Amino acid sequence: MAALILNFWAHRMISFRNALRALLGPLVVVGALSSAHAGPYDDALIKLTTDNYADTDAGVAALVESGNPRAEAIIEALRAGTLLYGDGKLAIRGPAGVAVDATTATPLVASDAGSLKPVRVNNRVRRAVEAALGSMTLLSPDQRRRLDAAAAVLRSRDAAALPSLDKALAQEKVERVKIAMLEARAAIILNQPDSSPGDRLAAVATLGNLGNQNALALLANLPAGASPELTAAARQASETIAANLALWNAAQNVWYGISLGSVLLLAAIGLAITFGTMGVINMAHGEMVMIGAYTTFMVQEVIRNHAPGLFGASLFIALPLAFLIAGAIGIAIERLVIRFLYGRPLETLLATWGLSLILQQGVRTMFGPSNREVGTPEWMSGALQLGGLSLTYNRIAIVIFAFAVFATLLLVLRYTSLGLYMRAVTQNRRMAGSVGIRTSRIDALAFGLGSGVAGIAGVALSQIDNVSPNLGQSYIIDSFMVVVFGGVGNLWGTLVGAMTLGVANKLLEPFAGAVLGKILLLVAIILFIQRRPRGLFALKGRAAEA
Amino acid sequence: MSAPTTPTLLYLDNVTVTFDGFRALNALSLAIDHHEMRAIIGPNGAGKTTMMDVITGKAKPDDGQAVFDGSHDLTALDEATIAELGIGRKFQTPTVFEHHTVEDNILLALKADRRPFSALLSRRDKVERERIDALLERVRLNRHRHRLAAELSHGQKQWLEIGMLLAQEPKLLLVDEPAAGMTDQETADTADLLRDIAKTRAVVVVEHDMTFVRDLGVKVTCLHEGSVLAEGPLDVVSANERVIEVYLGR
Amino acid sequence: MSTIINRQAVVVLVLLALAAIVIPAMNLAAAPGSVFHLSDHLVPLFGKYLCFALLALSVDLVWGFCGILSLGHGAFFALGGYAMGMYLMRQVGSRGVYADPVLPDFMVFLNWKELPWFWEGFNHFPYALLMILAVPGALAFVFGWFAFRSRVTGVYLSIMTQAMTFALMLAFFRNDMGFGGNNGLTDFKDILGFSVQAKSTRIALFVLSVAALAAGYVLCRWVVSSKLGKVVVAIRDAESRTRFLGYHVEQYKLVVFTLSAMLAGVAGALYVPQVGIINPGEFAPANSIEAVIWVAVGGRGTLAGAILGALVVNAGKTWFTGAVPEYWLFALGGLFVLVTLFMPTGILGAADKVWKRLRSRPEDTRGELASQAAE
Ligand SMILES: Nc1ncnc2c1ncn2[C@@H]1O[C@H](COP(=O)(O)OP(=O)(O)O)[C@@H](O)[C@H]1O
Ligand SMILES: [Mg+2]
Repeated sequence: MAALILNFWAHRMISFRNALRALLGPLVVVGALSSAHAGPYDDALIKLTTDNYADTDAGVAALVESGNPRAEAIIEALRAGTLLYGDGKLAIRGPAGVAVDATTATPLVASDAGSLKPVRVNNRVRRAVEAALGSMTLLSPDQRRRLDAAAAVLRSRDAAALPSLDKALAQEKVERVKIAMLEARAAIILNQPDSSPGDRLAAVATLGNLGNQNALALLANLPAGASPELTAAARQASETIAANLALWNAAQNVWYGISLGSVLLLAAIGLAITFGTMGVINMAHGEMVMIGAYTTFMVQEVIRNHAPGLFGASLFIALPLAFLIAGAIGIAIERLVIRFLYGRPLETLLATWGLSLILQQGVRTMFGPSNREVGTPEWMSGALQLGGLSLTYNRIAIVIFAFAVFATLLLVLRYTSLGLYMRAVTQNRRMAGSVGIRTSRIDALAFGLGSGVAGIAGVALSQIDNVSPNLGQSYIIDSFMVVVFGGVGNLWGTLVGAMTLGVANKLLEPFAGAVLGKILLLVAIILFIQRRPRGLFALKGRAAEA
Repeated sequence: MSAPTTPTLLYLDNVTVTFDGFRALNALSLAIDHHEMRAIIGPNGAGKTTMMDVITGKAKPDDGQAVFDGSHDLTALDEATIAELGIGRKFQTPTVFEHHTVEDNILLALKADRRPFSALLSRRDKVERERIDALLERVRLNRHRHRLAAELSHGQKQWLEIGMLLAQEPKLLLVDEPAAGMTDQETADTADLLRDIAKTRAVVVVEHDMTFVRDLGVKVTCLHEGSVLAEGPLDVVSANERVIEVYLGR
Repeated sequence: MSTIINRQAVVVLVLLALAAIVIPAMNLAAAPGSVFHLSDHLVPLFGKYLCFALLALSVDLVWGFCGILSLGHGAFFALGGYAMGMYLMRQVGSRGVYADPVLPDFMVFLNWKELPWFWEGFNHFPYALLMILAVPGALAFVFGWFAFRSRVTGVYLSIMTQAMTFALMLAFFRNDMGFGGNNGLTDFKDILGFSVQAKSTRIALFVLSVAALAAGYVLCRWVVSSKLGKVVVAIRDAESRTRFLGYHVEQYKLVVFTLSAMLAGVAGALYVPQVGIINPGEFAPANSIEAVIWVAVGGRGTLAGAILGALVVNAGKTWFTGAVPEYWLFALGGLFVLVTLFMPTGILGAADKVWKRLRSRPEDTRGELASQAAE
């Protein structure tokens, strides 16, 4: 069992050859090639010992026909150049130079081994070997092996694999594997000199329908002497595929954009709350995000040391903690510093910048300047394949999470009294004060809320970014841009701002490169703010002008 | 200048201003003659300040015309340009430059080339000094000329602001609630001052204080919900049924 | 009455003149080992401080007098520095590692075949000098023209200036921008034919820095004591009132902002030969904010305070980063908080208040020093 698992992984990660060695190496049983009870299998083996390419080729085919369980190992050895012959015997050289009998997998006596020579292969044989290996595993119950087999057949393009390929296709259920097989089949037909023009056209059509990168490559490399008709069909199919791929590509970029937008939304939404209600820019906002990320790190440390079983839930434990810790720090900052700078937004900006330096350096002193490792729970790793899209689960989780946070805040602002007071203060601070709202308390709570949200943003960001003391700094300018672009006093503005910037960023990237894309975007925002100095969703009215 | 030429100094026609659908001014029409003094009354929210915003370029109307001095389309100009044309404005709350001395406040308001480089190179000459002296005399702040404006009393600030407006030498002066927060004596003095000013230029005064309006003794326009409700001598307007209903009370 | 050279200006200019004499003298004349001797590495260090002081002066002009909190003045400083760096690079000639007579080393390294067009002319000092003023000035003009015309003010403007310098930093980090990417410009050989390493050149650069600072100070004094300066303060205190008096506020802001950017450019240009390198790190937003805190510490709206603040804070920084490096950011952060909370008018403002209380002469409340009590 262990060997099987080992084999499985080795197969994927190291190479088939090494896997076989791992499997065969330890076995020690004695035996010999016997021609006593001759059958198709034994005939095939004898063909391999003649040192004649045509015979070897036929031998490989016969071996496949025979259906013998040892056939695969032998052909694999042939490919690897470890199949030895001599004296009417076949043997496989093992890892440490020990030769084993090809049929029985038993080690040979040293004296026997001495006279053995490797079975030689030429290109034709090599292709036959590829095809043979492919067709033999095409029916394997293991999905990954079938996939690899289809890839092997695709590489070989050997017509010999066609019957087994058709058989496999007929019963294949897994979409991915089926696609790979269809590719392989079309490749064989296109390269087969004697396939009918009709079959070739059909193959081109199949490739056109598959519409992936492989198909595009196959269509681009039609064999020499293809009919004009075929070339035209291939060109058209290529164009369709290219267009299709471009579409998927754009969709993928939009997805990256949405995922970046969600990150920006998480980072900016707390900023928007504090900026909206109090008109102050909290330059230490990024550090609240950073503190949230470090909270996650600490939670995971504790879990690793004391309750490893809880690891899958570590993020859920970290979320409320991060909210509370960052929120408490936020309230402390408001009570100790910002409160005294009311009505002086520029000074507030400077003071909070100072706080951000202190918080950064504090974390650096406590946790060191280097990145901290925050693990990703099992349920968040992997990716979802959706047509031509690949969506990683951690990104999906962050998008969903960001929208959940957004919706929650929206509800809090709309339906709680804190939300009502906050909106009142946002719209007209003096009036709110004179109808009896304790604006200073609302300020502190709003600041705590904004900072707390930044803390939970940090939990999310710890999953996709390096957790270091500089984490916050890398988001702060982008968050500002979101708020400036979206306008304050309205969370929808933040949402639209974050998504627009995220998607625009990712759509620009392929053309302009990451850095230039970002520069272009910053310039665009600088220009945009000229047209709408208060952002997309600005509050109107006299209070806003004050 | 595509705006039509009119004989009046200020000509508002059919001006409408909306804020998020709310009509602060509703097809307002008003004409002010050269050297005319006009008092504007009306309940809170009637649109008096908004009307001044339109005239001074702070608010842009959705509809209608605002023409100054025959040919200038006010709706197309910015505040500074309109001020240079000769419209001065006093705000509801006195706004002076608190960190400047009283004298410098007047100096800054003095009619002169407003371009930055002229300001950089300008030297105070004898003519300017005499103008400043005269103006300070007129708003009775001569003794305080070296004090910071921040140190003045509320009434003194109102007067300083009026002094600044005079220094601008406008053709039209807009004054928003000058008597608010003043003592009776200050109010009466202010009325005198305004009447005096109106001898040489047009003045539009917004005021709630009916004694003050009576003191001015000029034509009165009553605004309500963004349009003119009544216009004429104070006695006529204050006898108007609708005016009594919406503004004066019974 | 406002005079350009008031009592404060006399003090500043005398102190600067003293520095220009005493520091070179202590370096050159005092015997090594005596308490009066100033070791060689300190001369460019003090020169660097003076460049920062000029940068602070430029920040004070826009922030202290016009109320524009620029978080992007580091960009103008760096651009001036790059212009000087480009001149110095062209002077290296074939003495570079790759010995290319025209191309700077990094271009040879990147396999470039010819000089990009924007490097043309930088081998001429007067042209470089022009660019030191023109490039930061042009950027400030364009940025300001857009921003002031559409009345972007307050924290919005601050954030936009920060985004500006951030975008420039990203741009200059790119190799294909043609400014040496990550590494920036360095390994300079000589300036106007004098070796940048030579003791005499360093002293000359120091004296030039003093002169530039003095000239910058007098220029600022001239601006703020003119009627333009009064208008600018009026804009700071009551922007819309100023507009209704007929002043085109955006023009005034533009003039002051552009002038200030040019001053910052000069500061950067003097800084580069004294520290021997200019790289994209100079565009970092943190640098610009640090310059703001120098002004706040010294006292904004006072000019002399900006100089004082830059010198004090940078001397502190040198000491901290030498003695207890891990505490420097705590100290700097604390400075931001404490100054804004407890010393909003900075050292000069506080000293002025104490002075007035001691003398308690009411007349003194007027005049130039009054403008420093911004808000
Ligand atoms: N910038 C603005 N945004 C929204 N509403 C405004 C604005 N300016 C004025 N209003 C509204 O327009 C109406 C007229 O206001 P205003 O001109 O100040 O009245 P008055 O000066 O006559 O008391 C009021 O209802 C006011 O709330
Ligand atoms: Mg009003």
